[in-house]
Formats: sequence, structure tokens, C-alpha cells
Amino acid sequence: MWSAIDLYYRLIGAQIRAQLQYRVAFLVELIGQAMATGVWFLSLVLILQRFKSIGGWTLGEVSFLYGMVETAFGMMDMLFSGFDPGFFGRQVRRGTFDQLLLRPVDITLQVLGSEFVLRRLGRILQGAAILAVALALAEVRWTPIKLAYLPVVLASLVCFFGGLFIIGSTITFWTVESIEVVNILTYGGSEMMSYPMHIYRDWMRRFFTYIVPGIFLNYYPALFFLDKPDPFGLPPFAPFLSPVAGAGVLAAGLTFWRFGIRHYQSTGT
Amino acid sequence: MRLFWELCKLSFQRQLTYRAAALAGLATNFFFGLLRAAVMTALYGARREVAGLSLESAITFTGLTQATIAFLSLFSWYDVMNSVYTGDISSDLLKPMSYFTFWLAQDLGRAVAALLMRGLTIMIAYALMFRITLPRGWQQWLALAVALLLSWLVSFSWRFLINLAAFWTPNALGIGRFAFGLSWFLSGFLMPLRFFPDWFVRLCNLTPFPATINTVIEVYLGVLTGPELIQALLGQVLWVFILVMTGHLVLRAGVQKLVIQGG
Repeated sequence: MWSAIDLYYRLIGAQIRAQLQYRVAFLVELIGQAMATGVWFLSLVLILQRFKSIGGWTLGEVSFLYGMVETAFGMMDMLFSGFDPGFFGRQVRRGTFDQLLLRPVDITLQVLGSEFVLRRLGRILQGAAILAVALALAEVRWTPIKLAYLPVVLASLVCFFGGLFIIGSTITFWTVESIEVVNILTYGGSEMMSYPMHIYRDWMRRFFTYIVPGIFLNYYPALFFLDKPDPFGLPPFAPFLSPVAGAGVLAAGLTFWRFGIRHYQSTGT
Repeated sequence: MRLFWELCKLSFQRQLTYRAAALAGLATNFFFGLLRAAVMTALYGARREVAGLSLESAITFTGLTQATIAFLSLFSWYDVMNSVYTGDISSDLLKPMSYFTFWLAQDLGRAVAALLMRGLTIMIAYALMFRITLPRGWQQWLALAVALLLSWLVSFSWRFLINLAAFWTPNALGIGRFAFGLSWFLSGFLMPLRFFPDWFVRLCNLTPFPATINTVIEVYLGVLTGPELIQALLGQVLWVFILVMTGHLVLRAGVQKLVIQGG
């Protein structure tokens, strides 16, 4: 176990040192990263000056959803860079994945350590800033439970998106081409979860409730933190399903991944 | 000129071969369209019209923006950059046509394929799902065609210009990402520019970005008429002129200092 953790740190450490070699380039990348996602939020801020609210939620309240998703997705995107379906698909096509299979180390650990995109810090910082603004604007009435639960929700979100990334990567075993459709779940899911779920059509919301349980990772926790009533009448423990949903999706992803590894046939390149 | 059309045709055909990728992209664009239409509907609430746009127009806007993503390569286009880094540029510079035209021809083929396969299909899917508006009368259709052509020219020339950064820095990708991020915001891709405060719109108009998407949208939705329409189209022409000239100057400076590593 300890040797595995040590190995992971070595792999990641090498990645980080390499990416920090060109300082100016890294800084530009960091700003570029924050920019790419930050503009969506800026546009929301400007738009709400005219419209005041979206589906009854104020800027502060929507920002809470936005900040949570951005921070968590950024963290996931950094930790699970090796499982980014676009990146991983390329490894399968080029045969570099086969090299990893030959080494006497757990394959999941190696894939996790194969890439670590440090510039995602830009997105994490940007998300955290939005979250801070949201918490100031929305005037959350803090209780000890809320304070303790916030990091749990964030961690659950990271697991949730990580599970989706792993599922997307595993699919490339069969499709070889990186198929953009997985983006609907990952990038589409995170975009969707950045707004209150009651604004969507029923079938979309049901899909992200019962098939992909995204609603329990952001919307329901937000109802709890912001003391809002539940428009869908789910049981009162629904906001506390985040860890279950997050761990569940990650476990499902890992199970599918192991199944994929067992049935993997190299492209021969 | 024949060479131009041959390159254009080849690039067009190349796009047609990636059918699975096109289908996947289409599904993604459409899904995001559904999300953005829902956001728009929620923003409008009980309002019937905002800044001269009805809810129907605003929903059409979300369809139009999703339909232009592939056509204008809105998310990324680093082909020139890559050819500088791989060294492919050395053989491209020897071709019997200018380097700018060489890429212009290929991008035209790509853009036309994207407009037909992705753009048109998304608008048809939108028409089945929502009540959308259509341009009225042949004049507006003609204006739309002109605006689309000019928007592609503006888009290509700024993308080309950004890519030229590769001549000076080993990591132009960061600059590229920054520029693309900025373009979503200032071009009216995220939200119609007329929803934004006046001071912000004035800021946007100092950049070439509104001449890509916002102009196409406003022509399509028919909010620009008469002199305003002519002014918008002339604005596009002006930006094409400025960007193409700058692109050529920067390219010349870049090629002069270019060193190709042998190998």
C-alpha cells in the first residue's frame, strides 16, 4: 500500500516538475484555463443585471451551484487527468497503454499517475472564488452540520465526475476513437448542474436523477444549504445522499473499468 | 485558383469521412442547446420580450449558436500552430500558393462541410423541438448568406493570426486557449450581446469578435434592418480587411525568423 502511494507521488511529482519548467508558459496556461470557464460565469453575472433571477434563484444562489461544480470539476480534472477520455483514448490508439499493462504495478494507479494537468489549478481557483462570492451573497445561515457537510459534498462531486471520466475512458477500449458522446455526461452534466434543476424538462431531470444521480450532488445539497423548499417532494434525507451517489458512481466506474481491462484487446499499434 | 478549389474539396471530403465523430459532435451540440434553451426560458419567466427579442427569438439564438460551433471552429483550431511545431510548415511554405491562402482553402472546405452536416442538422432538430423563427423574404436570406460568409472570413483570419504566435513562443497553446475563451464571451456566443449593459457592448465592438457570431444572429433574427444592416455587414468587411492585413504582416515577420530543425 505504502509503496503504491510512494509510486503515485513520484509519478505525479515528475509531471509537476516538468510542467513548471516553463514558468511564463505555465502562467499563461493558468490564466487561459481560468478564462475559459470564467467567462461563462461573467456572462451570467451581466445577464442577471437585466433578468434579476433564473427560475426564481438569485445570482448568489445560482453562483453557489456554479462555484461548487466548477471547484469540484476542476479538482477532478486535475486528479483524474489520466482518465480524461480524450487523453486516454489517445494512449489506447498509440499503444502507450499497452506499455503500462506490461509493468508489475496496479494499472489503475499507473493511469492515474500517467497525467496530471497542473493548469487546472486555474479552474479550481476560479471556482473557489465564485463559491466565496456566492456564500457572501446568498447569506447562508451556517450551522455546524452545514459547515461539516460542505467539504463532504465537494468530495462527493469529485468522485461523481471522476467515475464518469473512468466510464468514458473504458468505453474507448471498444470504440478506440474518442467518442464525444461521453462529453454529454461529463461536460454536459457539469453545465446542467450549474443551474437549478427545476428549469429543465422532466425527462432530462429524471435522467440526471435516476440514471445518473447528478441531482443529489448539487441541487439537493444546495436546497439544504440555502434553506429552500424541495419542489419535487423527495424524502427529506435527499440532500444527504451526496456521498452515496458520489461513491456509487465512482464504484460503478471502477467496476466497469476492471471489466474493460479483462476484455481489452490491443489495437496492435 | 484551381489549386484553391482542389484543396477546398479535399478538406471537405476529409470532413465527410469522419461520420461517427460528426454524429457524436452533433449529439453534444444539441444536448447543450437543450440546456441553454431551458436556461433562456427560465430567465424570461413571464416576460414576453427583452431588448427587442421575443422568447422564441431567444431560443432560436441558442440553436443558432450551437449550429455555428463547428462552422466557425469556436472551441479550438490549432492546425497552423501544430504545423509550425511539427515542422510540416517547411514543405507548406514551398507550395505554389501563399501560406495564408493554403489554409484559407482548407478551412473553407471544413467550414462548408460543418455548416451542412452540423449547422443545418441542428437547426432542423431545433425546428422539430421548439418554435423557432426563420428569416423572412429573400432579402433577409441573402443578407444572412453574406453575413455567414463574412463571419467565416473574420473568424478564419483571427484564428490564423492567433496561431502565428507559434513562431515566437514554444507554448502558443496557452495564448490560443485564452483567445478562444475571450471570443466566446465577446462574440455574443454565450448570450446575445444586446442583453448585456451598453458599456460592455461598446467594449465588445472594439474587438473583431461580434463580427463573427453576433452579426449573424442579429441578421438571422431580423433585428437589424435598413442602414443598421448595411452598417453591420460593412463592419464585418472592415474587420476582414484589418485582420487579413495584420495576418500577412505578422506572417512575413514570423517566416523571416523561422528556423526549421532538420531531421
